Amino acid sequence: MYRSGGGGPRARGSILGALKATEMLDSRARLPAEIMVTILNYLPVADQMRCARVSRRLQEMVYDDTRWVSRLKSMGCWDEREARQRFEDAVRRRREAAAAAAASQSADGAGKRNTISSATIFDATVEQQRRQRAASELRDGFETMKIGTGDTAEDPASYLDVFKHVKSVRGGARQEYGKIYKALAPFYFDLVMAKTHTDPIVFKAFVDPEQQAQMLANLHRFAASDWSEGWGHRDSKLTSMMNIFEAAVLREFEQGYEFWDVDGRMHRYAHVLHTLNGAKTGIDLFVQKHPLFSDRDVVHNPMDCLNQAFTDDIVLEPSRRFFETLLAKVNDQASVLERIFPEPAIVFWSLTEKIAEDIVAEYTTPLFDEAHERSISSYLKAVSGIFEQTLRFFQSLTPPKGPEEDLGNRAKQLTLKVFEPHLDLYLQEELDFFTKQAEVEVLQWEKKLSEQDSSLESFYYSNINRSAEKNDFLSSFKKVIMMPVTVLPTFPIGSPFATTKPTPSPAITANGSAVLTPQSSRPQTPGLGNDIQGRGSPMPGAKAPTDELAAKAAIMASKLEGIKSLFSIEVALDLVHKAKGSLGRAAVLIPLGGQAGGEAREQCANIFIALVRILGQRHVKLGFDMAVDHLSHYNPRDVSDHDQKGVAPLVMFIELVNVGDLISQMIEVFYEQQLAAPKIADKNDFLDPAGLAKKKFEQMLDESVAAGLNKGIDVLMDEVEYLQGTLQQPTDYNPIPRAPTDDMNNRQSNRATIGSMAELDIGPTPTARRIVDLVRSHTNMLVGTTEKSMLDVFNGEVGQRLFTAICKHLKRQRISTDGAIKLISDMNLFSDYVRSLRNQDVLPYFAALRELSQIYLIDPSHAKEMATVIADGDRFGGVFRAEEVYEYAQRRADWYQVRRSVERAMYGMDCVVM
Amino acid sequence: MAEAKPASQKIWLISNDNATMEVDRVVVERSMLLKNMLEDLSHTDITQDNPIPIPNVNEAVLRKVVEWCEHHRNDPVTTPDDESDARKKTTDIEEWDQKFMQVDQEMLFEIILASNFLDIKPLLDVGCKTVANMIKGKSPEEIRKTFNITNDFSAEEEEQIRRENEWAEDR
Repeated sequence: MYRSGGGGPRARGSILGALKATEMLDSRARLPAEIMVTILNYLPVADQMRCARVSRRLQEMVYDDTRWVSRLKSMGCWDEREARQRFEDAVRRRREAAAAAAASQSADGAGKRNTISSATIFDATVEQQRRQRAASELRDGFETMKIGTGDTAEDPASYLDVFKHVKSVRGGARQEYGKIYKALAPFYFDLVMAKTHTDPIVFKAFVDPEQQAQMLANLHRFAASDWSEGWGHRDSKLTSMMNIFEAAVLREFEQGYEFWDVDGRMHRYAHVLHTLNGAKTGIDLFVQKHPLFSDRDVVHNPMDCLNQAFTDDIVLEPSRRFFETLLAKVNDQASVLERIFPEPAIVFWSLTEKIAEDIVAEYTTPLFDEAHERSISSYLKAVSGIFEQTLRFFQSLTPPKGPEEDLGNRAKQLTLKVFEPHLDLYLQEELDFFTKQAEVEVLQWEKKLSEQDSSLESFYYSNINRSAEKNDFLSSFKKVIMMPVTVLPTFPIGSPFATTKPTPSPAITANGSAVLTPQSSRPQTPGLGNDIQGRGSPMPGAKAPTDELAAKAAIMASKLEGIKSLFSIEVALDLVHKAKGSLGRAAVLIPLGGQAGGEAREQCANIFIALVRILGQRHVKLGFDMAVDHLSHYNPRDVSDHDQKGVAPLVMFIELVNVGDLISQMIEVFYEQQLAAPKIADKNDFLDPAGLAKKKFEQMLDESVAAGLNKGIDVLMDEVEYLQGTLQQPTDYNPIPRAPTDDMNNRQSNRATIGSMAELDIGPTPTARRIVDLVRSHTNMLVGTTEKSMLDVFNGEVGQRLFTAICKHLKRQRISTDGAIKLISDMNLFSDYVRSLRNQDVLPYFAALRELSQIYLIDPSHAKEMATVIADGDRFGGVFRAEEVYEYAQRRADWYQVRRSVERAMYGMDCVVM
Repeated sequence: MAEAKPASQKIWLISNDNATMEVDRVVVERSMLLKNMLEDLSHTDITQDNPIPIPNVNEAVLRKVVEWCEHHRNDPVTTPDDESDARKKTTDIEEWDQKFMQVDQEMLFEIILASNFLDIKPLLDVGCKTVANMIKGKSPEEIRKTFNITNDFSAEEEEQIRRENEWAEDR
């Protein structure tokens, strides 16, 4: 319109030019469609509708369904699924109708054209009618509303429930929005204009607070779809109106509260508040002012738990009573809440939350603080015990019926909330406590050991059936470990151990059996009281097997008596029990899940690691080191008494290996039962710290054993050599012939002597017997204690070293043909023994030794044959070379007599020529 | 944008009626179109002799647009994400913008078109809001005049639409 004048002169050029100019004119004055749409978006609804009347294009834009769907969505009354369902239904109906029409058409093909035209006409009229009807209906509706603003009493429901009747129809969003707008917009704009809270028509048209609340809620919802300019102001106005209304209702509610008018005013206004905005403020008020928080009955003195107990201990009975009272009170409230609130569950949980915060936390915090100050051990027991009680308390709540909820999860959350501030400290203390205790234990034991150090050497090898005993012991150990985790583990382990000998103290057994009968099956009734009772009394269930274990341990200890080993199974057992106690307490927290549960789990693993570390590094390793030390200082010559069957330090060491193995198996069982079974540690995760610690422990044990065995072999061989050196008589292998026969002429008589000697004694020499006994007793002791492979290596090494020792020894002897018999039987003895070791590697050596010993048997006159034997490498299976055999042959008593002929036979005649 | 761009870096624009103007780069970057373009160019490409041509925007409108950009040079850049949310609830036009938009209608439309072309979303919004305020409360006939739209409804059709939407009418 501004351009119309300017366009004139340019248009004069040509018709085409004029056309172009008009086009330009239009495009200039007009805005593109997308901008028009944006502009429409900024317009209030009324103006949008006026725009719809401007032109078809604008009408299309305004009527565009998405525009209205988004408004419905903003009010939360557009259901996409419903819309799709409707749309699909409509499509199907249309298709069916089309199919039916097609069928009817083909049926009467004659009057085809006629039918069609009439049908179209008919359709058009129907459409026309429908439209008119719709329009008039709409108008009617509008008019009713107009009247209604003055006097809504006639049909308030249509306004109150306007949102309930909204349908999600594709293509019908504008109409649906229109219905809502028609019902609510007048009230909305009126309210926004109102100067005081008495002005708005809403409060005049609706008298009931319930209806007023509903309308306000509706308006609030409607306001969400108002986004044209100035909405912020309108919204705040509405909100302030609602706040005024809410405050008024709340006041009523509060008054009802003061008179405890549950079914009357409280019920009514709670529902009003609920319709208004979910009754958040009402719930807050209710929870804040709840009489439970000033109830004298639930106020307990948390110190009772400490004061009624001995030092270092805690009694959970008072706290149980506290929780019981509280539980009864809270559960009472559930029914009251149901009478007051439309959604009692929400109120119940927010009430419970407050209880957790104000009552439970108030109870527990001072208790924990006090306990922490008094003694760590009672603190640890308090936290764990109260934790379990609290969890149980929350789990036993009976919330009013409402939307299905996971009670367990709720309980965990609430419990976590109460315990959150204590968790870190507790877990840390638990670990520290255990570590400290374990270290003290080990230290004490070490001190005791060093006091006894002088008597250390006095022990004997008790000939008991080791593996059977161990299995027995381990099975009872397992039994104890598998006992349910107890809150307050009271292991009377220390006392039976200290006295070792006495059978399980009868007092405890009597006590145990007396209480055992009623308690043996732990009551699983859901009631809190019952369960806590079972829990509160010291765990008799655990006591009996513990005593059984104690008894077994005592028997075991007495059997192993005298073996004042360098580390003790008792200490290990004690530590394991302490660990189990700590672990049991900490593990209670694991079901919490989430971060707290994870931390608890981690700390459990840490406790185990600490156990393994202290047991391994501090206790077992030290013991092994000392034992190895003892071994390395062993000198057979210093020991006067060699009648014993074993080398003292070695026996001791092997005992240690036995005990170490037992401890290792104990750890294994403990790991399986306490860590792997409750999923604290993942057995399949090779990076799991607990698993790593266990592996490290086992590795350390193996290494120590290996190191010890290495030394042990040295010692054993020292002993063997010592025996060889001291016991072997020079006459053993070189018996003095009856007649002094040192000259060559007496070969005949020599041979006779062999005969006579053989008759006298052809068995092995006592020295050989002693050696075999010695070695065998030691190797036997190890059977079943360590890994098979290590045992094999050990046996192999023993065989090798024994072989070397024998060879060395042989080179020192002088052997006559007569003595050869003895030597052969000695060699047979060794060889038999070695075969019992079942080690294939060393067998050839001893076979070769046997072969070798035969060269001494060859009569001097058969020097040639002797030479063949010496040179025959195959005979010795490659163990000895010809030179070596030759060397051994030199040990013949008559070597100088046969040497010439042997050498000649070996090297041929050249030797002689030379 | 590998090269350092000092705040004082200049950009030259040329309108369709050959008016060159020197503008700070930050100011130019209010326009998403030009911002993206500049990111693809090296900063030496644009000189006084080689300005960026802005076709279909004349000098007067371009100066107006640049004026707006100068004033809003430090506004946070709206991301496309919160745009969809912000679209719903109309915010009031701030005072400076209101004054700025007090121009004749032709200029207003030109600014809207230019900001649409240059992709300056906030300016476009301000323009559209201003137009919306203009037509608020106007009758359909007045609206037609404003936008130079010919009425393609018959009187009955128009009445029909009015009745259909009677619910939205102000009392």
